Amino acid sequence: MISENSGEDPRLRQLVDGIVRLAAGDLSTRMTPSENRDDIDAVIAGVNLLAEELEHIYSDLEQRVADRTAMLRRTQAELEQMAKTDALTGLANRILLNERIQEALQNSTASGKAPAVLVLDLDSFKAINDTLGHGAGDAVLVEVATRLLSAVRATDTVARLGGDEFAVVITESTQNEILQIAHRASEKLQDSLRIGSETVWAMASIGVCISAPGDSAESLMRDADIAMYQAKGQGRNNVQLFHPDMLLAVQERSRITAELRNAVSGGELALQYQPVVELASGRVTGLEALLRWHHPARGLIMPDSFIRIAEESGLILELGRWVLHEGVAQLRRWNETAPNLTDFCLHINLSAAELFRSDLLADIRETLDRNHVAPQRLVLEITETVLMSRGTTEEQVLGGLRDLGVGLQIDDFGTGYSSISYLRSLPADTVKVDQSLIQDIGSDPQQQKFVAAILQLISAAGLKAIVEGIETAEQAEQLQAMGCLYGQGYYYGRPQPPEQVLDRLESLAQRRYS
Amino acid sequence: MDVIAADGPKGSLELSDNGLLHLRWLPGVNIEVDDARVAMAKVNELCQQEQHPMLVDMEAVGSVSRQARAVWSIPCSASRIALLGTSPVDRVLANFFLGVHVPPCPTRFFTSRSQALDWLSTGD
Repeated sequence: MISENSGEDPRLRQLVDGIVRLAAGDLSTRMTPSENRDDIDAVIAGVNLLAEELEHIYSDLEQRVADRTAMLRRTQAELEQMAKTDALTGLANRILLNERIQEALQNSTASGKAPAVLVLDLDSFKAINDTLGHGAGDAVLVEVATRLLSAVRATDTVARLGGDEFAVVITESTQNEILQIAHRASEKLQDSLRIGSETVWAMASIGVCISAPGDSAESLMRDADIAMYQAKGQGRNNVQLFHPDMLLAVQERSRITAELRNAVSGGELALQYQPVVELASGRVTGLEALLRWHHPARGLIMPDSFIRIAEESGLILELGRWVLHEGVAQLRRWNETAPNLTDFCLHINLSAAELFRSDLLADIRETLDRNHVAPQRLVLEITETVLMSRGTTEEQVLGGLRDLGVGLQIDDFGTGYSSISYLRSLPADTVKVDQSLIQDIGSDPQQQKFVAAILQLISAAGLKAIVEGIETAEQAEQLQAMGCLYGQGYYYGRPQPPEQVLDRLESLAQRRYS
Repeated sequence: MDVIAADGPKGSLELSDNGLLHLRWLPGVNIEVDDARVAMAKVNELCQQEQHPMLVDMEAVGSVSRQARAVWSIPCSASRIALLGTSPVDRVLANFFLGVHVPPCPTRFFTSRSQALDWLSTGD
């Protein structure tokens, strides 16, 4: 085996070459031992076996790395899935929804079709949770999820945003297709569902926003949300398509809310007073305090423009508190200035939300005490809707107000859904008949009869009627002839600032006695 | 000597009446995993649940693959194994078998047949 030319065993050259190839990373390198099976062959066999071991360990390591990498990828995918899934319903959550909206927007083409977002809010879910428990509530949410999935296409995404709010991303579609899906979702939710032995409904108010060029995921969601609130405002359980006017209205509302918040502390609110008159004598029996907002930029703002916003934002409680404090304080000031002209009551409007104000009774009591005003001189005007639909809390508060000795008056009678049988059981002393009922009594004999009947009805229920909106002497005479005792309206005086009230009271008193 | 024999293309196996298993690999063979599996199956078949010492004649074996060596890590009917070889190559092969895999029964390499047989018979 020893080379005759070099005197070197060629197996050694083969061995060196083999080791070089192994060192270069070619672990499949093997060398062939000779038949001698001597020490050199033993080294060759040993190197072959070591190379084989190395190759095995290397491939084993590579396999393990591949396995671990695959496992990490699977875990990462599972974690991502968990992070993007609503645990209760298995639907997409807000994060995934956002991604899908962005994908849908990116993929949209100039084909006349566009992606859209639906936002759905269940209309009576809180009642289900409150009365049947959270387990029942969860079952309802799961069923709603199933129904929504059955209403959309495979390319669309249904998500739960949290609570009882859901959303759907609709990929590129025509307006007709989008509205069809929205209405299909609404229809799927019309059927009742069984929770144990109970039957419940989970209908939804649905807002739809179809994307326009330049829209972001955020603006689409915001606008679908605005449309959903529009659907809520329109009686719930309906579908509303977003229109830019809706956004302007929301922005306006939001601006007014912010400004109104400052109005109370900034001294921008004021009260004006309108007399309530005894028709027979012309005597002023009361003054109704009416809120005015002197906006620094927009001038005088009437309550119609901001009371609803105040009620929605909860600011009504602060406004109510201010009106009570200012009105009663003004009554005290009049008492001090002209004690002989102050045998009238102060009428203050009380909103439905204020009945739930925990410190209402104490606040009224303390305000009256602080200003040395007898409770009988305060009349709280409450809309008939509040009185008709009163629950336990309202009942207790109304009872407390009566115990306090404060007068209660039904406001805007004839505009709500009054029940005649309820009229007798109402915790009130007087009823203010809405001005819309007397608008045509001068010209319409039928309306005259109708108003006369209402006045008789109020009288039969043991209540006193005040008719508001009297603008002419003829109306005043007609109402007096019908047996109406009290009236209010421009004929007797427009709302006036407090500093003008005493002068008017004096002139009215002089007119009575002249 | 009464023997129960099982021959394969690369080797033969005998169980003698004195209870010794004798596995002979043919000179120059390259033992692959399937060869090892066949051999082990034959060992178990011949022993029929009984344990016997085994002499493995591996002189002049060409190579033993890693997977083939791994087969012999599985317990079988051999109670102890004596690997018999003569050349330095046999010694290297045997020691890779002993070092890299943990044999399931006492296993040693011998260059002397008589010493191997003594060790198998005495159990020392």
